[in-house]
Formats: sequence, C-alpha cells, structure tokens
Amino acid sequence: MHNIWLIAKREYLERIRTRAFLIATILIPLFMGAFVFGSGYLASRTRSSAHIAIVSTDSSFSADLRHELQTGKNSGMTVEVLTPTSASNTDEIRANLDRNLQSKSGDLTGYLVVTPAPQPNARPTFTYIPRSAGDISTEDLLSTAIQNVLTREGLGRQGMGSSDIAALMAPVVIDTSKTGDSRAAFGAAYLLFFLMYMVIMLYGMNTARSIIEEKSSRVFEVMLSTIRPDEMLAGKILGVGAVGITQVGVWMLAAAALGSTSLATGLIGSGHALISATQIFFFVAYFIFGFLVYSSIAAALGAMTNSEQELQQLNMFLVIPLAFCFLMIFVIVRAPNSTLAQIVSLIPFCSPLLMNFRISLTTVPPWQIGLSFVLMSLTILAILWVASRIYRVGILMYGKKPNLPEILRWLRYS
Amino acid sequence: MPIVELQHVRKAYDTKIAVADLSFTVEPGSMFGLLGPNGSGKTSSIRMMIGITVPDSGTVSLFGQPFNRDLLKRVGYLPEERGLYKKMKVMDQLIFLGQLRGLDATIASKRAHDWCDRLGITPSIDKKTEELSKGMQQKIQFISTLLHEPELIIMDEPFSGLDPVNAVLLMDTLVDLRKQGRTILFSTHRMDQVEKICDNICLIHNSHLVLSGSMREIKSRYPANRVLINFTGNDSFLNHPAIHSAKNYGGHAEIRLRTSGDDGADAQSLLAEAIRTGARITRFEVMEPTLEEIFIEKVSEETGIPAGEKVHA
Repeated sequence: MHNIWLIAKREYLERIRTRAFLIATILIPLFMGAFVFGSGYLASRTRSSAHIAIVSTDSSFSADLRHELQTGKNSGMTVEVLTPTSASNTDEIRANLDRNLQSKSGDLTGYLVVTPAPQPNARPTFTYIPRSAGDISTEDLLSTAIQNVLTREGLGRQGMGSSDIAALMAPVVIDTSKTGDSRAAFGAAYLLFFLMYMVIMLYGMNTARSIIEEKSSRVFEVMLSTIRPDEMLAGKILGVGAVGITQVGVWMLAAAALGSTSLATGLIGSGHALISATQIFFFVAYFIFGFLVYSSIAAALGAMTNSEQELQQLNMFLVIPLAFCFLMIFVIVRAPNSTLAQIVSLIPFCSPLLMNFRISLTTVPPWQIGLSFVLMSLTILAILWVASRIYRVGILMYGKKPNLPEILRWLRYS
Repeated sequence: MPIVELQHVRKAYDTKIAVADLSFTVEPGSMFGLLGPNGSGKTSSIRMMIGITVPDSGTVSLFGQPFNRDLLKRVGYLPEERGLYKKMKVMDQLIFLGQLRGLDATIASKRAHDWCDRLGITPSIDKKTEELSKGMQQKIQFISTLLHEPELIIMDEPFSGLDPVNAVLLMDTLVDLRKQGRTILFSTHRMDQVEKICDNICLIHNSHLVLSGSMREIKSRYPANRVLINFTGNDSFLNHPAIHSAKNYGGHAEIRLRTSGDDGADAQSLLAEAIRTGARITRFEVMEPTLEEIFIEKVSEETGIPAGEKVHA
C-alpha cells in the first residue's frame, strides 16, 4: 500500500507541475467562459442588427409587419415602410433601393417587395432582395414575421378580437415541476456521458501513456526490482486519476462560478435546481469508479504496447464500451426498469453511465446499486491482475508486438 | 552462508535457451564477476536473482533463504539498461527511489547529498535528469542503487558507456564498498576490466557455464606461457620449437609457448635462441594468460572449434 501511495504521489506531483497541465486547467475554463458569454453576446446581437425596407401598397399590412419585426421574439429590426403610388413609382423606389444595396456605404440589409394577389383575400407574393445572398437568418425572421402577421390578419377577418388572437398565439409551456424534469435528467446523463467520455479518453490514455513511458525510458527494471507490477500499475492509475479529478474539479468550480452569473442563468432559463444532492453523490461515486474501470483497461493496453502508435490502434477497446453505453441510454430512457435496462446497467463497463442514469430517472433497488459497485471493484482488480502479468512478461520481450495467443501464454507465465 | 546461491538454474524464452543449468555461489564480502560475451545469458541470470523473472527450473537463494521479495530490501540493483524519469529533478528522483526502497525522505535526501558530493555531481542536483549527460545519469543511477545501503549490490554492466576516468571512479567506489563488507556481484563482457578487482568469477558462454572459481586459483591453473618480445634485427628465433603460435607485428611479437611442465624453461631457451641468432631485444616479458585468453582457450576446448580471436564486440 505504501508503494502504491509513493507511485501515485510521484505521478500526481510530476504531472501537476507540468506546463501542459496548467495551460489546460486554466485555458479550458477560459474557453468555456468565452463560449457562454460570447454566445450570449451573439444572441443579443442577432436581435437588432438588420435594417429592412418594406415596399408595399397595403399600408396596414406593412405597419403590422413593421411592428412584428421591430418588437417580435427574436427581432428588433429597423424597418422603413415605403408606399409606392404607382407601378412606375414602384420601379423607381426599387432602383433606389438597389443602388443603396450595391453601394458600400449603404445601410440597408435588404428590402421586401409585397405584390398583392390579383383576387382579394388571397396571399400576396413576397420578394426579398438581400445585400448578401447568404443572409439566411434575416430571411427566416422575415418569413416567420410575415406568417404571424398573415395569421393575425386572417383571424381578425374571421371576427376574432385582438386579445383572443394574442392569447391564441402565445407560446405553449408544459409544467413538469410535479413529476421531475425528465429533460433535465436526460441532460444530466448526457453531460455525465460526455464528461466521462472526455476524461476517460484524456486521462485513461494518459495512464496508458505513462506506462509506455516507463518502458521506453527503461525505468521499469529498477522499479520492478523493488515493487510488484500490480502495485506500480495501481499507483499509476490512482496518480493519473487524481490529476484528472483535480482538473475536472477545477473546471466544475469554474463552471459553477459561471453558472451563477446572471447572464448565464438568463440563458439557461428556468434557474431552478436541475440536479439533486443525491444525484450529485451518485454522479461523483460512479464517476470515480467509471474512471478506475476504464483506466485499468487503459493500463492493460499500455502494458501490452510499446509505443504511442500501437496504443492508438488499440484505443477502440475504450471507445466501444462507451459507444455501447451511449446506445443503451435511449433504451433506458424509455423503460428504466425493463429487464434489459437492469442487465446492462449492471455490466461493470456500463454501470458508471447507465446505473447512474437509471438512478436519475427512477427508483433503483439499493441491492442493484450495491451490486454494481461490487462488480466494478472486482472488474478493476481482475483487469489489474491480468494487466500486471502482461506487463511483467511484456516488458522483457520488448520490440515485438504481441498477438493474442502470445498474450494468453503470457498470462500463464509467472 | 553464501549470499547468492544458484542451483541448476534454467530459463528459456520460447525456443531460445537463455540460461542452461547454471550453478554458482557468491560468498559474503566478496567481489564476484559474472563474465561472458554479449548474449551469453548474463542479464537473464541476474534478472532471476532479483525476481524480475522466475527460473523454469532450479532454485535461487539470497542470504541463505529461498528467493522472496522481502529480501530485495537488502539488495541494490543496477540494470543494464539504465532508466530514470527524464523530467524529474535529480534530487527528487533520488529521494523517490530511496523511499521506494523503504527509506525515510530526510534520510534519503541526506545520503543522496553525500553521494552526490562524493561522485562530484552536486552542481547538477536541481537540474532535470534529461538535461544531464549520459555519464552523469549513470552516476545518478549508481547512487540510487546504493542509497538504502544494501548488503548485496548487483550491477549489470556497470562500467559500460563510461569514460575511463569515471569507470575508474566507480570501480574504486565498488572496491571501497567491498572493504566495508558489502557483497558485490557484477556482470561485464569486458574481461580485462575485472581481472584486478574480482575475487571470484563465473564465465558463461552460450548460456552454459564455462569456468568458475576464485581468480587466483583459475590463474594458477594456467601457466605463464605468454611472451611479449620487442626486438630489432633477425626474427628467425620465432621458429623455435617451444613456440606454439606467434604473431609477429614487425619488431613486436606476441608468442604463446607450448605448455610444458618445467616452468619458465621454454622462455629461457627462447631468449637464448633470440640472442644467439642476433636479434636485439628491447623487451622480453613472460606473462600469465589474460582472462580473455583463458576464456577463448576454454571455449575452443569445449566446443572443439576455436572461438573467435576477439570475444567482445
């Protein structure tokens, strides 16, 4: 135990002192912040940038559309209404507007020409001439606004009062506060999944790399003359894992700090707690165990390879179980207590993601939770045992990439 | 009680036999040389002594007990392929390796400082290991082997890759350690290096034991039948019947005499012959065979074919 502690401590201190660690730990929250604030800024920008001209003989329609575009949900455009007096006047106005669009100093984003339909009450046709052909968002906003105005006009013609129309057209809100927010649970599971995926790929691979490094720098022989290979692998997994947890912890704190700013709450919306304390507890517990399970696989991969390149070829062994879990998320979200859901959530490679997901969706019997932890612990020990055997024999036969029969034979060597 | 005892140890990797039926003992307080050309099984033997690999058959005992990992605390091991953590600072590294061998951090630090002083690397202790020269790194590894004051020191090719000054420095250090009563076992393919310092040797070739015993006893088994002559003038004395083989480099001849019972008589008659035929002698030296020559002779005796002139690569 003392040796494992020494190895883990060295691994942790050496890694935490590196420049790469500092940069990643500081830069990623900075990027996160820039992303949150930046997207907030961009979102606020999209409201009021466009400057539109409407060319229409129907002055009440253009006034309604102007009102919709200036005060609508996503738009706060500057709108000019031009009412041509004759067909030749229309051409004149359009020529003027075209000149504005073509000149660099012009301030118009585009203009909309409304051509009334020949028969009354039929839809007019709309022509939009933008300054930039790629400006899809303004076009979308226009089309939504026109749709709204036309609907309102139509309802008005059917004799509906304006307050009734407003009530009818208000967005629908579904209240889920009584039953628990399945969207939030799903979101939390997704978040956990991607966090796990990222950390496992990053730090699991680091564990493997650190074991390969030991081989390429030939330190292992000194190490093995004092400690057992399983102590060494366990120390590496714990040390590298602690670095990963430190880093994720820093990021989480940064995220929490960001989340508490008013802008972020405004963006995320609801503001009420999405995740309960129990969920956080299981999140952390399953996160740690999941990390250990996957790190020990990575350690085994590191033990049987001699170089980074060989390792890359084998990292599918980490990705495939994770991808399988991802597929199972959809099965579980529909029926969290089905037999299939119960079985897959007990598979040690899947428990960290799937059992945790089930816990956030439904009430899981305590024995299943307990069993999942027991199975994960046994898996970790078994993988470590196999990995340390592969490691000990593998290092003495370096230079040659082992094939499966050879690895099986190594397991029998002592 | 022997410190190291190997009994009929055998190890094979797949089809290749690395060590075949090797037995020897290392007595307390002695300097033991495990000699042999590259690929003869030295490293494989050493790895079995420290439990990195396990023999297929036969037994390894340390300190009079069958091998177990607890005994490793009393052993200092320097592997052939040196390895240190490249990014770690020298002193941190030494303390870490000391702690792994059960030392307290403060004791490890104190001993590491003492050793660095002694081997002249104190100015480098705050540098990263990768910034140091290979020789310096080797000294650091050497120190790490000795920090926990092991009773048994096992070194695999300790002098390879060192310049002559540092090789002598380390050799002197080993001799000092032996004087303090430590037992030292090391391997080398440079047989000339060990003649002076080893008490006992074991020569292996192609995984087989060729020769073992005390240096003095082995040497006495082989008569002084080597003659070195520097001369000018007539070289016809090189056809003297007592000569088994001679290499004449023109003015410098290396001669091997036929082994005969009467010690030194052949050399005397050769010298007389040289003077009689008119060669002018500036050097005439009768020598014991070197370890390397003994090795070559022994190997060709056993295999029936003469071994290569040069044993080491």
